[in-house]
Amino acid sequence: MTKSDETIITIENIYKFFGDIEALSNVSLKVRKKEKMVIIGPSGSGKSTLLRAINRLEGVDRGKIVIDGQDITDRHCNINKVRMELGMVFQNFNLFPHKSVLQNLTMAPIKLKKVPPVQARENAMRLLEKVGIKEKATAYPSQLSGGQQQRVAIARALAMNPKIMLFDEPTSALDPEMIGEVLDVMVNLALEGMTMVVVTHEMGFARQVADWVVFMDEGKIVETGTPEHFFQSPEHPRTKKFLSQIL
Amino acid sequence: MRDKNIKIDVTDGAAIPTRRDPGLFNAWRVTLIGTVIAIVSLVIFKPDPYLRIIKFVPDGILITFQVTFLSIALSLIVGLFTGLGRLSKNRAINLIASVYVEVIRGIPLLVQLFYIYYALGTFFRIHPFTAAVTAMTVCYGAYMGEVFRAGIQSIDKGQTEAARSLGFSKSQTMFYVIIPQAMRTILPPVGNEFIALLKDTSLVSILAVSDLLRRGREFATQTFAYFETYTMVALLYLMITLILSKIVSIMEDKVKPYDQK
Repeated sequence: MTKSDETIITIENIYKFFGDIEALSNVSLKVRKKEKMVIIGPSGSGKSTLLRAINRLEGVDRGKIVIDGQDITDRHCNINKVRMELGMVFQNFNLFPHKSVLQNLTMAPIKLKKVPPVQARENAMRLLEKVGIKEKATAYPSQLSGGQQQRVAIARALAMNPKIMLFDEPTSALDPEMIGEVLDVMVNLALEGMTMVVVTHEMGFARQVADWVVFMDEGKIVETGTPEHFFQSPEHPRTKKFLSQIL
Repeated sequence: MRDKNIKIDVTDGAAIPTRRDPGLFNAWRVTLIGTVIAIVSLVIFKPDPYLRIIKFVPDGILITFQVTFLSIALSLIVGLFTGLGRLSKNRAINLIASVYVEVIRGIPLLVQLFYIYYALGTFFRIHPFTAAVTAMTVCYGAYMGEVFRAGIQSIDKGQTEAARSLGFSKSQTMFYVIIPQAMRTILPPVGNEFIALLKDTSLVSILAVSDLLRRGREFATQTFAYFETYTMVALLYLMITLILSKIVSIMEDKVKPYDQK
C-alpha cells in the first residue's frame, strides 16, 4: 500500500481522569492519511476513551490533539466543523429512530452542509447501495436487524463525506451471524483508502486491514506495531498474555 | 440500549382514552354519551330553568376556552425553557429554573391568583383576564417544565453523541434529534396537564373573570336556582374535559408512527 506522509491525526501526551482513575495516561499517537489503525486491549483499558477523545466526545485534561491541522484541544476551536470531517460509528448504532433510513443519511448533509435535498438523497441512495441495504431506504431503524442498522450507521457517517472514520467496537453489540456483513463493509471502506481508527475485538479484521495495531492497558499504550509484528512476535509480556487469552 | 417503554405517570387530570386500553375507552364513551343525554334531556324536559341556563353561559364557556388555550400555549413555551434550564450545565440558569419550580410547586394556584391580582395589583393595575392567564401560565409552566425535563432525560445519551459526532451543535441536537423523540414520552403527561389546567381555570372566576363558573354563579344568584345551575355547570365542564381528553389521545396516536407502524 502506498502512503502519503501527511499526518492527519496527532495526539501528544494526553491525560484523562475520571475522578481518581487515570483513563488515559500520557498517550501519544500519529495517524497519517489513508492509514488504518486498530486499537485493542482489555475492557477498561482506555481504548474507547482514546477514540472518543479524537472527536472530543470525551474532553482531555492535558495534552494536545490536532486533527487535519486543527487543534481541537484549543478552546477556540470550532469543534462542530472538525466533527463534520470525522465520521463516527458506535457500538449501539445510535440511529435516529424517529427518522427513516434515508432521512438518517440526509439530515446532517442538508442541515449542516446545506446540500440540496435532491442531491443529498441521491448521494444517500448511492451509499445505501454500497453498504448493500438500498431496499430499506424507507424503513425505520426499529424495523432493521442489528447488522443492517450498523451498516446504515456507517452510511450515515459517510454521508458527511468525512476524511477520517472512527469505529467504536462496531460489532460488539451484534449477533455473531451479523458480524461478517458489517466487517465486509469496513474492509471495503479500507480498500477504498479511507483513513480509519478502529477499536475492536475482531483480531481477524486487525490482521487483514490494519497498518498499525495499538495495544492499550490501564490507560497507557503498551505496544504499537504492524500486525505481523504484533501477532507473531509481541514483545511486551502484557501483550503476550492478552493475545494468548483471546486468540 | 434504549428503554422503549418509559411512561411518565401524572396523577392529576382525567384519564386519556386509548384504543389500546379498551376498558378506559369504553368508560370514556359511556361517560360522554351519558353527559350528552343528561344535558339534552334536562333542556327538553325542564326548559325552565335549564334552557335559560344554557342560553346564559356560552360567553363564559368562550372565556374559559380563551384562558385555557392562551395559558396552554404560553405555559408550553415557559415549560420548554424551564425544562431546558433545569438540565442546563450553567449553574446560574439551572438554579433559577429549579428555584422557580420549587417556589411555584409549593404555593397553591388559588393563592398565586390572589397574589398576582390583588397583591401585585397594589403596585400596578392589572386586568383580571391578564392576571388570570399570567397566573395559570406561571403555575403550569413550572409543571410542564418538569414534564419536559423528564421527557428529554428519557432519551438515550447515544442519540446526543450520534448527533454531536455528525457536527450538530448542542441546540441543533436538542431541536432536531432529542425533542422530536421526547415528544412521544412527553405528550401523555402534557395532555393530562392540559386537562388539569382547563379544570383549574374555574379558579379564575374569583377574580371577576366571567368564565363558565362565574356566569353560572351570576345566574344562580339572580334566580336562586342553585341546584339546577351548578348541575348544568358541572355537566358542561365534564363534557368539555372529555372532548379535550379525546383530542389529546388523537394527538398521541399521531406522534408515534415510527414504531407502531
